[in-house]
Amino acid sequence: MAVLPCGVHSINYSQDKAFIRTPAQWICFIAFLLIVFAGPFFLPPRMLGIIIITGITTVAVVGLQITVGLTGQINLGQSAFMGMGAFTTATLAANFNLPFWLSIPAGGIGGALLGAIFGIPALRVKGFYLALTTIAAQILFPLLITRMPSKWFGGANGLGLAPAKIGSFNLQSDQSLYYLIMGVTVIMLSFAFNLTRSRVGRALMAVRDNDIVAEIMGINLFTYKTLAFGIGSLYAGIAGGLWAYYIRYVMVDQFSLWFSVWYLGMIIVGGVGSILGAILGTAFLRALQELITIAGPWFGQIFPQAGGGALWFSGMNIILGGVIILFLIFEPKGLAHRWNVLKHSFRIWPYPYL
Amino acid sequence: MIDFFQYLLNGIMVGLFYAIMALAFIIIYRAGRILNLAQGEVVVFGGFIVWTFIAGASFSLWIALPLSLVAVVVLGFLVERGFFRPMIGQSIFANIMITVGLMVLMRGLMIVFWGANARPFPIIFSLKPIILGPFTFTRSIFFGAIIALAVFIITHWIFEKTRWGLGLSTVAEDHVVAQSMGISVKRSIGIAWALGFIVSTLAAITFLSGQSINFLVSEIGLRALPVALLGGLESIWGAPLAGILIGVGEALAGAYLDKYTMGAMSEAFPFIIMLVILLIRPQGIFGWKIIERV
Repeated sequence: MAVLPCGVHSINYSQDKAFIRTPAQWICFIAFLLIVFAGPFFLPPRMLGIIIITGITTVAVVGLQITVGLTGQINLGQSAFMGMGAFTTATLAANFNLPFWLSIPAGGIGGALLGAIFGIPALRVKGFYLALTTIAAQILFPLLITRMPSKWFGGANGLGLAPAKIGSFNLQSDQSLYYLIMGVTVIMLSFAFNLTRSRVGRALMAVRDNDIVAEIMGINLFTYKTLAFGIGSLYAGIAGGLWAYYIRYVMVDQFSLWFSVWYLGMIIVGGVGSILGAILGTAFLRALQELITIAGPWFGQIFPQAGGGALWFSGMNIILGGVIILFLIFEPKGLAHRWNVLKHSFRIWPYPYL
Repeated sequence: MIDFFQYLLNGIMVGLFYAIMALAFIIIYRAGRILNLAQGEVVVFGGFIVWTFIAGASFSLWIALPLSLVAVVVLGFLVERGFFRPMIGQSIFANIMITVGLMVLMRGLMIVFWGANARPFPIIFSLKPIILGPFTFTRSIFFGAIIALAVFIITHWIFEKTRWGLGLSTVAEDHVVAQSMGISVKRSIGIAWALGFIVSTLAAITFLSGQSINFLVSEIGLRALPVALLGGLESIWGAPLAGILIGVGEALAGAYLDKYTMGAMSEAFPFIIMLVILLIRPQGIFGWKIIERV
């Protein structure tokens, strides 16, 4: 908390632990919540859709940040875990008529179970071997889902579900879904921020820094590595559940390795190991995606031989690959680091350093 | 019974093809401790370069082949210099992610250069099947297996007998030791990438002959991962053995189990094997068990 203004002193532990500590921070926080709440009243519908997708993606990416950034367990299968959540939610809603406030958490648990199962090898293997395990999860997932009885997960065709309902009110419009998704996102984010300050979070970071040393200090590696995958994919599962209610149609193509790479790209851009970084990275790459979607037709007119859809796809790939490589080589600490530098220099201005 | 042996022999040959791709993995991994997840893209990129020389510029095979090999060697050195040299000494996560970045980038570039539509790859081995007694083989797979064996013998010779190859083996053992013996680690990693690109291009030629090529073919690269892992990521001769094991298992699973699983078993088999290896013996059959000290 090096960024507090001077003159702020804690006189007891609860003050010291508090997240929001000064009146200015309270004002900013309340203003932020108000802006989020008022969003649907002044934003154009297209912008609203973009924000909703960004919110869902943020949940999945923050989960990935917990597995990869906080615990150092490489996970290339986040998209499969998200898919597991989406399919669990969809099948519970479509076949058992569960309300959304039960089926979304159930989706989270579905994702967490799959993630924890594929996280178990993490006890024996690390580094790229673990990357291989999670790639296997990503490849086996669609094979598994499409071969289940089509009553369960819809087979290769996918599964549609009815809109979420509160009483007799259908959460069908973007406005109503916005509140559901933003609400869940805010809850998940505050949980993630607090996780980094808890015993569990510190244990996870100890595992990241050196797992053998962490074990000697009394951290049960099996519990905490499985837990890291479990929490990370719980986030993915909940993101999947939100996705299922927003798109209202789930199929395995929506959860391919390509999306896992996007999520990893987002944490690299944002900064590995920082929850704030996960949010910044998601926002940055989502903005780039929208930019390509807007600029795609324009480029299509300049290079007509490339063909529209393919050009969009190749542009996405080049931007994603290029951004990952450039950030890894030139700014491995990511946007979160830049943001902290900026905040620090603003605080000590006009002096260059303290 | 004849059917069974036919499946077995086909499995062996497909397995040898997987083994060449796994070899490219292994060469690159040994030198730089980099697990190249972009392997499939490298294969298809090499394939597209061959396509450009044969179908695009209409050279004959014997001119096109050396030209393509020179091109991929240059490409291999460039990739190493541009993307992997800055990564020396970085975390494993960064090293994996840069290959993932390369994978996505190469896919995008392939669409820009060669379009997204499937194109017919020139027929290098004629489409007439080879008939030996009661067995029939696709000619490209048959010659692919022979080329694979030749590639393995040549690679073995390079790594055991030539000065560069011995240097590469030392680099595989320990970067610091190699450097203090006067072997340039950087140059060795560069050579490893060039070799990996050559082997990948040979794999592309045998696999794609007479087939169609587009960027989606690169999915095949992921299927070579289990082979490299089963054989051991450091072992050259582990790859053909593991390739044969996995190829045969996949062929038999395809023949006898696919009817019960709607075609999923032959696709899933290599990855199920991979998970089992990761749980039981992560270093594979012939890999090096590296003891970690704190």
